[in-house]
Amino acid sequence: MSAITLNNVIKRYGAVQVVHGVDLDIEQGEFVVLLGPSGCGKTTTLRMVAGLEDVSGGELSIGGRVVNDVAPKDRGVAMVFQNYALYPHMTVRQNMEFALRPMKLPKAEVDRRIGDTAEILGLSELLARRPAQLSGGQRQRVAMGRAMVRTPDVFLFDEPLSNLDAKLRTQVRWEIGKLHQRLGTTVLYVTHDQVEAMTLADKIVIMRDGHVEQVGTPEEVYGNPRTTFVATFIGSPSMNMIEARVDSGRLVAAGLSAAIPARFADKVSEGQAVTLGIRPVELKIASGDEPGAMQAQVEVTEYLGNEALLDLRVGSHELVAEVPADQRADPGDMIHIRLNEAAIHLFDTASGQSLAH
Amino acid sequence: MAYIRKRNRRIFLIFLLPAMLVLFLTTIYPMIYAGYLSFRSYDLAKLFVPRVFVGWSNYAEVIGSSEFIHSLITTFKLMAMTLSVQLVLGVGIALIVTQKLPGMPLARTLLMIPMMISPVIVGLVWLFLYFPELGYLNYFLSFLGIESIPWITSTNWALWAIAIADIWQWTPFVMMGTAAALQSLSPEPYEAAMIDGNSRWDVFTRVTLPQLKPVLVSLMFLRAIDAFKIYDIIFVLTKGGPGDSTEVLSMFIYRQSFTFWRMGVGAAASFVSLVIIVVLITLFFKSLQREQHA
Repeated sequence: MSAITLNNVIKRYGAVQVVHGVDLDIEQGEFVVLLGPSGCGKTTTLRMVAGLEDVSGGELSIGGRVVNDVAPKDRGVAMVFQNYALYPHMTVRQNMEFALRPMKLPKAEVDRRIGDTAEILGLSELLARRPAQLSGGQRQRVAMGRAMVRTPDVFLFDEPLSNLDAKLRTQVRWEIGKLHQRLGTTVLYVTHDQVEAMTLADKIVIMRDGHVEQVGTPEEVYGNPRTTFVATFIGSPSMNMIEARVDSGRLVAAGLSAAIPARFADKVSEGQAVTLGIRPVELKIASGDEPGAMQAQVEVTEYLGNEALLDLRVGSHELVAEVPADQRADPGDMIHIRLNEAAIHLFDTASGQSLAH
Repeated sequence: MAYIRKRNRRIFLIFLLPAMLVLFLTTIYPMIYAGYLSFRSYDLAKLFVPRVFVGWSNYAEVIGSSEFIHSLITTFKLMAMTLSVQLVLGVGIALIVTQKLPGMPLARTLLMIPMMISPVIVGLVWLFLYFPELGYLNYFLSFLGIESIPWITSTNWALWAIAIADIWQWTPFVMMGTAAALQSLSPEPYEAAMIDGNSRWDVFTRVTLPQLKPVLVSLMFLRAIDAFKIYDIIFVLTKGGPGDSTEVLSMFIYRQSFTFWRMGVGAAASFVSLVIIVVLITLFFKSLQREQHA
């Protein structure tokens, strides 16, 4: 049985529709990340699952029960907020106690749960402190602890790491992943950070303008993006996109030509406008006499340690190549590159849909 | 640099001077003069009789007088009546007008009107309402089958009549401060409580009230100082009567000074009430500090 099911879920504010018919199945124990740029409807979707926003249309089920009209408290969910949402005048212990209060548990059980949770999260020493006396990372752990003590069926995370600095973000991200492995609770997690999504998720839901663009494992959305949006959103630096045309069995663009990979051979037709996508790591430095080698001018070189990013001008196209640092060239140099044809993605230019599917 | 600093200081002084002058003439000088008077025998009716130094005898008379003690008790009684109702009503109304409902911003503005009216006018308005034979209040009460109430002519009701007028005028002040504090509270803890299933009562008493406490304490403190000085409304409505049932401290001082023309005793009484206010303020800030350190 699915833990959470969204069936054509819609959100409207007055006449403005912000979430357009989201379909989603989340299995028991799955870690699902809603990923997308600001304003794509991911947080609104999460808040609908939490019950903080009404569902304007469609059906939302948690644990097999339709919860469209069920109060937030009766949905068996706990939520961790971006700004921690801790009660500022209460100590860490009181914050957790207050979350347990509606459950009317015996005092011994309350103490046991708080003790266990504090132990897991490394908060045991901090139970008597107030939020103002804690660091950002500690506050976020308290927020998680407050959600955990209730042992909910589903955890909802709303951009929990976005207020933390880069180093802490990595650490807390790791802690969240570990916690999920340990508790095995279903998680629905919202973020705009693809690294969080790629590292934590069993399944990524990529959203844009209130629509789901693609649902898949991190490998799927990286390796097989269904749309140009997903292709450019996932992966850093972004995939290079080249407007091309099918001409005499080849992909042709200004100053650039490549054979059509075999898997696309029967999916394109002569004269079709296509978008060729190639990840920066799949642009290889070549010698001038290699077949398929293209001349490129280096405009900017960014040295990153192990590798370097080269901003290249190929014909009228600006491409980024990620090459081993020892192969890097200097700005102004003319070099040769070739596309790793096996790694080419093709999209229909008009619809933006992948031609691989 | 030094030159500019010196010139700036002179400009500061020039700009400050008018305000300081007004402050001196209307507050500091009268206070010093009242201090001087409080040690003298000074009959306003005998302007040309020398003001003899009488030591602490004015103070002794004030503190020993049952009228003064009575007025002090009446002041605290009135304070308790008005502050408690203003607190409950002010917080209650603030909770309503901060809801995201149509018409609430307008309601908030309208509710502030009483506060903007001069207390003398408020007194006159309520005088019309309370008037024994012709007052509107008894007229409307008669529709409910309630017999006319001797609002300002009975010793049982007069203090309540004054309290009601003061509550009407100053509840908006408490409402406004509380509403501002409510709106500055972060909404996320409330959403967390909603998901966790905490009852509205729990959320109000354990999340909202503790966070409002510093603001409420300050509002009550400001109201307490005002209540200590309440004068205009009483002067218009009852002039301290009937009998001495509404004679608060300020009325006592006024009566001593300008009815009995005993300026020395009036000045001494003013200083005694000043000391009481200063003691209250000190205790208040001490307790606030203790709380912040706790």
